[in-house]
Amino acid sequence: MKAATNAGRLVRQVLSGEVWPALADRHGYRVGPDGQPFLLPGMGGVTLGVHCADPATGYASDHLEPGASIRHRDPAANMALQFLTCVGNQVRVAGGPAAGALGHVIGQHAYVLVDFAETAAANLTSGDPVSVVACGQGLALDDHPAITVKNCAPDLLARMPGGTRPDGRLEVHVAARVPAEAIGAGSGMASEYANTDLMGAYQGLGEDLSLGLEGLRIGDVVALDDADHRYGRGYRPGYLTIGVISTGQCMLFGHGPGPSTLLSGPSDAFWLVDDPDANLASWLHAGASA
Amino acid sequence: MTSETTAPPALRLVAVNLLGMVEHPALGGSPYRVDRDGRSYVPTGDGGIVLGLELGDPVFGLVADHAAPGACLVHPDPAARHALASYACIGNQVRVRTGQAAGASGVVLGKRGEEGRVIVGLAQADLAGLRPADEIAVRACGQGLRPAGLRPDVAVMNLDPGLLALLPVDLDGGADAAVTVGVRLTAPSRLAGNGIGRPAVSWDLDLQLPTPGADGAGDLVMGDLVAVDDIDARYNMGYRRGWVTVGVIVHGASPLPGHGPGITPILTGPAGALRPVPDATGHVGLTAAMVQLQ
Repeated sequence: MKAATNAGRLVRQVLSGEVWPALADRHGYRVGPDGQPFLLPGMGGVTLGVHCADPATGYASDHLEPGASIRHRDPAANMALQFLTCVGNQVRVAGGPAAGALGHVIGQHAYVLVDFAETAAANLTSGDPVSVVACGQGLALDDHPAITVKNCAPDLLARMPGGTRPDGRLEVHVAARVPAEAIGAGSGMASEYANTDLMGAYQGLGEDLSLGLEGLRIGDVVALDDADHRYGRGYRPGYLTIGVISTGQCMLFGHGPGPSTLLSGPSDAFWLVDDPDANLASWLHAGASA
Repeated sequence: MTSETTAPPALRLVAVNLLGMVEHPALGGSPYRVDRDGRSYVPTGDGGIVLGLELGDPVFGLVADHAAPGACLVHPDPAARHALASYACIGNQVRVRTGQAAGASGVVLGKRGEEGRVIVGLAQADLAGLRPADEIAVRACGQGLRPAGLRPDVAVMNLDPGLLALLPVDLDGGADAAVTVGVRLTAPSRLAGNGIGRPAVSWDLDLQLPTPGADGAGDLVMGDLVAVDDIDARYNMGYRRGWVTVGVIVHGASPLPGHGPGITPILTGPAGALRPVPDATGHVGLTAAMVQLQ
């Protein structure tokens, strides 16, 4: 049974932003796990060729942000854009050669990350304005009071498989389970902003670094063990957080592909179903990579 | 794949005089933060000058957020502030240059990340005479330190060259020539919070340790040495199986999720080369006597 929610009482708000340029400084290099210098693209601008259901890692990239990376020029308006925008919200390009193209939010990473069809993304670049119809903060599950919902558009939740089970637990389908050891940069930050980097998901590095997460895909719904994201992001035994992988390959040590938070609560309030199709592409982005 | 590290040539360290300004605590438009249980609270002791808190004091039980034993130094220019936090090392001498406490000397006790803060300890009477924006000179020295006899696969950082010999560190302590270090406790890497993924020379690593029991068991004191398993802190701090990092507790607990008592890393290496020796009751780490703050 689909979980009952308060979706009918949420408001929608039109926000604006623009595709933000990739940023660098004149020193260029950052450092990998063994101190190796690298200079790789992936953060900011419009990153092409990587969409939901594509592998998250395996690219010559750092902090790979699939699709368009969006901010607002005014710092306070930007925080509103980052906090209020939810995964699954619709985004429309408001100017430039790609004007009118529609995409969907796949997460936050100090940018709002938007997956567009490749044909639309090819015509999009830094400075192009976009409109976001923000809706989702405040979403609550009527029959699961211990579970906090955040950053999740109501229609995304409605399309995700699972729901309220006869035993009262919330069934959620997940593509991967993540051990607490994997939690990297992002711990201690607000869970409505940026995401949680996962370590041990680096491709091609040694077994001392691997936590078995090399198979993650962009858009995968994952379960984070012993993570409490109700009021920020922290370690708490017996709690569980559900997120969606919104960023990919990292070379910077202590970083990695990261989930944006969707649900968090006591582990025993959830019933997890391992499902390789638990990916945004299955429910929301059909045709996005066409 | 663990990289082989070869011993670099013995290079002489330089010291640089840096300028720090005593920080004023800063809050946003709302006085509230939200703790790990969803309760609002007003953070106290987060930066600036904290009186009455010293090396050897418990880190839990304070009504405070990230309180450090002394004064935090910053710099108004962000790049200069990062340099201050990156070059200052625990044990470096500092001297107050302006204000009522001018002439007083103290010692760097640790550092904090994000925009960068250097924590300096002074005698309580001198601390009480400090005022935010007072200038303090820091004689920064220690980054690049390679003590003679230190095995090449162990890295040392954030330590004044003169302090290592005073800490419970034996560079050649084990039968297998592992570096041994006395610590209060060893924490698993899953307790590492804010600071993961950040450079170990300029950030602290918060540990999400459980609140101690009513009898105080499991408590730490300011200046304790603490080990964290499976964390490599040679560059950015991150997970590496079979590695260990040792740091000094530089600030107290925090109600925020993902935060907790923080360590400034001082040693990191493979577990076979760097061996922490925990002593929950008898451990003595960085003390006021050691840095002549008494």
